[in-house]
Amino acid sequence: MKVTVDQGKCVGSGQCVLAADDVFDQRDEDGIVTLLDADPPAGRLTDVRHAALVCPASAIIVEE
Amino acid sequence: MSVAAERLQLPFARPNVLDLAPLYEVLRREAPITPVTTPAGDPAWLVTRFEEVRDLLSDKRLGRSHPEPERASRITTAAVQDGPTGNYETEEADHARMRRLLTPAFSAKRMRMLSDYMQQLVDGYVDQLLVEYADATDGVVDLHTGLAFPLPVAVICRLLGVPESDTVYFHSLSERMASLGTGDDAHQAREEFNRYMIGLVETKRPDLGEDVISDLIRAQSADETFDYGEMVRLCVGLLFAGHETTVNRIGLGALFLLTHRDQWEALTADPVGRVNATVEEIMRLGAPGDLGLLRYAHTDLDVAGATIRRGDAVILSINAANRDASVYSDAETFDPDRPERTHLGFGHGSHFCIGASLARTELRVVFTTLARRLPGLRLAKELDELEVRPTLTGGVTSLPVTW
Ligand code: HEM
Ligand code: SF4
Repeated sequence: MKVTVDQGKCVGSGQCVLAADDVFDQRDEDGIVTLLDADPPAGRLTDVRHAALVCPASAIIVEE
Repeated sequence: MSVAAERLQLPFARPNVLDLAPLYEVLRREAPITPVTTPAGDPAWLVTRFEEVRDLLSDKRLGRSHPEPERASRITTAAVQDGPTGNYETEEADHARMRRLLTPAFSAKRMRMLSDYMQQLVDGYVDQLLVEYADATDGVVDLHTGLAFPLPVAVICRLLGVPESDTVYFHSLSERMASLGTGDDAHQAREEFNRYMIGLVETKRPDLGEDVISDLIRAQSADETFDYGEMVRLCVGLLFAGHETTVNRIGLGALFLLTHRDQWEALTADPVGRVNATVEEIMRLGAPGDLGLLRYAHTDLDVAGATIRRGDAVILSINAANRDASVYSDAETFDPDRPERTHLGFGHGSHFCIGASLARTELRVVFTTLARRLPGLRLAKELDELEVRPTLTGGVTSLPVTW
């Protein structure tokens, strides 16, 4: 699967990190999202989709 | 549109601390954006449907400030969510700075690092409850004063660098600020809270530490556009939001679980496996307070058939949105296993709760520990017998339990 994040939209809520901390992280200096894994294994789909769903800024896009 | 013919008066009386006024269901269906009169007697729009509430929360055409604050509708007589806040010209920049300064301190990762500390605290409170239980002739102890209250207070004091010995004082100020009684005591309490915070800031200044208030003091002295008064307001806001909301949510969560025995037993059977979904359901259905999130329109806008004018007050009922039957199946039912996994309990969009990871971590630790250590927990009073606080933030004053 392919994951992209829009750092310009991100509001630093950390919801994605709570959902999948192997795929998303937050920058230490401002809490903005960073991708740890832009191509996570298929088994992570549920959690990554969940992250995209709960992101309050709609900043995460997942393509299967 | 029978319900919209007359202006409804907020707040709508609720049957008990867990359920909402049935009127919300009618409004979502028939008048999702409806004109109301606020508790302070001024006109506003009340938004109740999930889709519109979520969309408006991320709509840049609304804000917390007002183009002409002196003409703005007042919402309550309390000293929080009572009217517009901030400066219309600089709201966006001020808000962006606030998020930039605070987000890192409350990041998911940092909050996870605190979970061992929270676990120690919660274990200590449960130990103490066990002692009290052994001494109590009726076998009843208070989960509110014994756990729901002290945990969030201890954690926010540590994060902000506030002495825990000040708890009684700042808690009474918070209650008075959020009080829906009449008179201007709420505003006097806010003044006192500001003075208390200025005292604390100036005591800390010569010897700044590793805490959020110290960070804000450093940031304010390095940035001439960062007003001193604004920094103080922010610190007051953090101390207020950092304990009031979470205390309530722990209490409401316990009430939902203990009045839904099957859900409590499911949690005790698999605390770690079920806690996340349980906490999210507590976040969705827990609905303290009877108003909503407050915004003012910064331009005219048309939403769901209503025309909102520049300057109008808009109350976004996240409580009503979280029970929208067009989004949630059996929306009023407490069901952690539901397929729908999102809610607006922490807001949405650019103001999304900064403390969400903190609150979630605390709630997870509390409910796994209670399920593990006190599986026989039950309420010692009927739901209707519990006293609800007459404040904007709601919640119960005590939570008598036994096991
Ligand atoms: C279960 C507990 C909590 C609940 C239910 C809750 C709920 C909310 C909600 C709904 C908002 C959005 C307000 C709006 O859009 O107008 C919000 C914002 C906020 N919350 Fe929380 N909160 C909780 C805990 C905390 C904690 C522990 C803190 C401490 C740091 C905190 C700090 C904040 C701040 C600073 C904002 C303002 C964010 C902004 O305007 O950008 N909250 N909270
Ligand atoms: S959930 Fe969205 S807004 Fe929050 S940190 Fe992740 S990408 Fe940013």
